[in-house]
Amino acid sequence: MPVDHHDRSGDDLLQQVVDELRQPVRLDATVDATALERIRRMGPPADSRWRFRLVAGLAAAALAAGLLLAVFLPPREALSGLSTARAVRLRLVAPASSRVVVVGDFNNWDPGATPLRSTGRQGVWTVELRLKPGRYHYTYLVDGREWVRDPAEPPAPESDFGAPTSVLTVS
Amino acid sequence: MTPGYNELDLPVTLTRPLSQDQRSRGLPMMSDSDAALVARTLDGDLDAYAKLMARYRDTLGAYALHMLGTREDAQEAVQDSFVRAYRALRGCRQPERFGGWLFRIVVNRCRTMQRRLKRNRRFAESLPEGVPANGDAVASLEWREEIARALGRLRPHYREAFLLRYVNGLDYEEMAGLTGANQAALRMRVKRASDQLRELLRDVHAS
Repeated sequence: MPVDHHDRSGDDLLQQVVDELRQPVRLDATVDATALERIRRMGPPADSRWRFRLVAGLAAAALAAGLLLAVFLPPREALSGLSTARAVRLRLVAPASSRVVVVGDFNNWDPGATPLRSTGRQGVWTVELRLKPGRYHYTYLVDGREWVRDPAEPPAPESDFGAPTSVLTVS
Repeated sequence: MTPGYNELDLPVTLTRPLSQDQRSRGLPMMSDSDAALVARTLDGDLDAYAKLMARYRDTLGAYALHMLGTREDAQEAVQDSFVRAYRALRGCRQPERFGGWLFRIVVNRCRTMQRRLKRNRRFAESLPEGVPANGDAVASLEWREEIARALGRLRPHYREAFLLRYVNGLDYEEMAGLTGANQAALRMRVKRASDQLRELLRDVHAS
């Protein structure tokens, strides 16, 4: 992982930011008064067991409605929410690696969410994503320790300051 | 790894523990009296709930203010959270940890509100009260404005992770429990937030 060796002043800077953000904040006491007024109108706290039964009942009804829609709607309409998504294939050559994952804006930078599959040919790893149009920052994590930018896409502008990332534009 | 840095190139000085006072302003320390006040509230004593609200209002308000950027939105988030917490109070399984439970509600409420707020809203209102009179204080106020503005330019989940880690002083395990994200993702978000804040504020600070 690249290390920001060159600018230790940035650390003092962040410390000052943190110190500033830790300063006390005072909210208006009318916040409590208004909340209390709403609470008085509302009555005593709900019994969570009844609330659970209500939620479970509503969930069951929603599930039944969803099943009905899936059965009776034409597939294209049923899948209209996905109609704008595009298939995007990512590919990385990483020979002698045992695990490659991609993390980015599309999966909340979750290293467990999107592993790549080895094609078995010349260290090529690949995965197919379905992404809506937009710009996504992302990077690969190889063997759980090495961050590798996708050379096939342009680098993100702030890559100089941290882990290397690329920008994927889906149109 | 560079000496003095942790595994994600964050300066270790930033990960130092908060003082007792700072930590109590971050994720509130739990106490028996919280449990007693919760019990009294469930018995119908709204004065007890008013005491709980007063105890946590400013701590939660600080987080909401930095997250949402305006005092008005922060007050709305905290107020809604108080009402929601009261409604769900029988579901608070550990009343001695009421503060942490309430904090989780506020974090979720801020997420919901964030989604409906326009991006890059004006963050200048997230300043502490008190307009300074002398030159140094004016510079200090301008610095606070720049911090608020930079914070507002971060993606919400980066801002959330940065605040929880460094301002509220949570460790990654606590953050994972609170946000539902895994620790690796949270570390990455904190790192990216830190990188971006450095970049956004470097020139301002130098001048």
